[in-house]
Amino acid sequence: MGFLDGLLGGKRQLKGPAPDRLFAMTTAQVTLETGLGLAHRRKAGIVFQPLGTADFTQIVTETEELLTGSAEDTGTKIETADDEFGYRWLVLEDDEFEDLVVSLNLISTQLQSGGYGDRLLAAVFAFDEGGSPIYFIYNFKRGTYYPFVPSGKQSRDTERELRLKAQIGGELPIEEDASRWFPLWEIPL
Amino acid sequence: MALTMFLLGLLYVGFVVALLSAGAGVGVMLVVIGGMTLAQLFLSDKLALRAMGAKEVSPEEAPGLHAMIERLCIQADLPKPKIAVADTDVPNAFAMGRSQKKAVVCATTGIMRTLEPHELEGVMAHELAHVKNHDVLIMTIASFFASVAAMMMQFSLFFGGDGDDSPSGLVILLASALVYAISFMLMLALSRYREFSADRSAALVTGRPSALSSALMKISGAMETVPQHDLREAERMNAFFIVPASVKGSIKTLFSTHPPMEKRLERLAQLERQLQGTAG
Repeated sequence: MGFLDGLLGGKRQLKGPAPDRLFAMTTAQVTLETGLGLAHRRKAGIVFQPLGTADFTQIVTETEELLTGSAEDTGTKIETADDEFGYRWLVLEDDEFEDLVVSLNLISTQLQSGGYGDRLLAAVFAFDEGGSPIYFIYNFKRGTYYPFVPSGKQSRDTERELRLKAQIGGELPIEEDASRWFPLWEIPL
Repeated sequence: MALTMFLLGLLYVGFVVALLSAGAGVGVMLVVIGGMTLAQLFLSDKLALRAMGAKEVSPEEAPGLHAMIERLCIQADLPKPKIAVADTDVPNAFAMGRSQKKAVVCATTGIMRTLEPHELEGVMAHELAHVKNHDVLIMTIASFFASVAAMMMQFSLFFGGDGDDSPSGLVILLASALVYAISFMLMLALSRYREFSADRSAALVTGRPSALSSALMKISGAMETVPQHDLREAERMNAFFIVPASVKGSIKTLFSTHPPMEKRLERLAQLERQLQGTAG
């Protein structure tokens, strides 16, 4: 940020996505499954701000059509949900973990090539530990992952999250600043 | 800014009178004012929160507000600020704190009642933009320079005017008065500019300029119907409010910390047109 930007009030644009490290999850998943015994929940999601503009709506529709097209080969199921904060979720379901990552990447590149990459909030991968979920949240702005383990409504198991960081930090680009480990309550995965 | 001025002014009068009567020199005075500016930088957030009767709220106490701000923080790439709520009917919000890590964002119960969720989101994004743009720090530094000028003016008032044979006292007095007036006006202009900036960032972060517009309209409308004693109570806090508690008169524009409402709405409408792809 230049001096004038600083004096006159910051950057003129919203920060776009960081270099894509979404695919780091593909290899990390193998370690999570074989090393830590965490099976994936066959679900992943992406959450973004839906804009009230015509071309944005069109890009989302096109993306959904593209996904449905590729879903015929992969067998991925797609669901759309709007949450109470006005954000939209695209929830994918597939037995093949790699297909989930590829589909999420497809959505994010579609939005980015349409010029709406800055609207992406996060991608979420769900794993299972004794029936309760463990999430890995990918922050597009920072290109980093962080663990999120809800332990109830509005509470999280920070100890488990820190342990997960230690266990998988070698393979996944984990967000170093724990104050950026923002929770996402009521993830529909 | 009104709060900054109020506190600084108060401290000034006391200290300057005390120090001058004790025979202090310019050096001592500079140190004192530097110290006061630092104190302001480090204490203003606590003072402001106390003046408003605001309390920090935990995620359990205000889950909706926390979740809303967390998402905005991801979008704006900011660490999460402390969140406070003030129990008053005046619909307003403000941000305090000298750095992003120390920031506090406060909303009143009035604003949470008055606005729809996406409108409140626009307002909170505006306050987060102040945090992101380091507005508190920059305005404090700006007021420091105005303070130094004011001190020089007071100093010469004390020693320049008591009938010595040098004409330089009067020159210093006039010069410092001019410097003070100019720096004060510049500071207000800077503040107004930064409000536009914060509106713009908020619109970018939420992607909904019109939501912020309707929030501003609702707040300014509600402001005029709020009982008078609440307005006076709120007067001191104007600087970091999203809308000053009383907005009237056109000459006042030059002396105002916030740009006029119509200008803000006009700029937001322009952003909305850009977003919709209907503007050149």
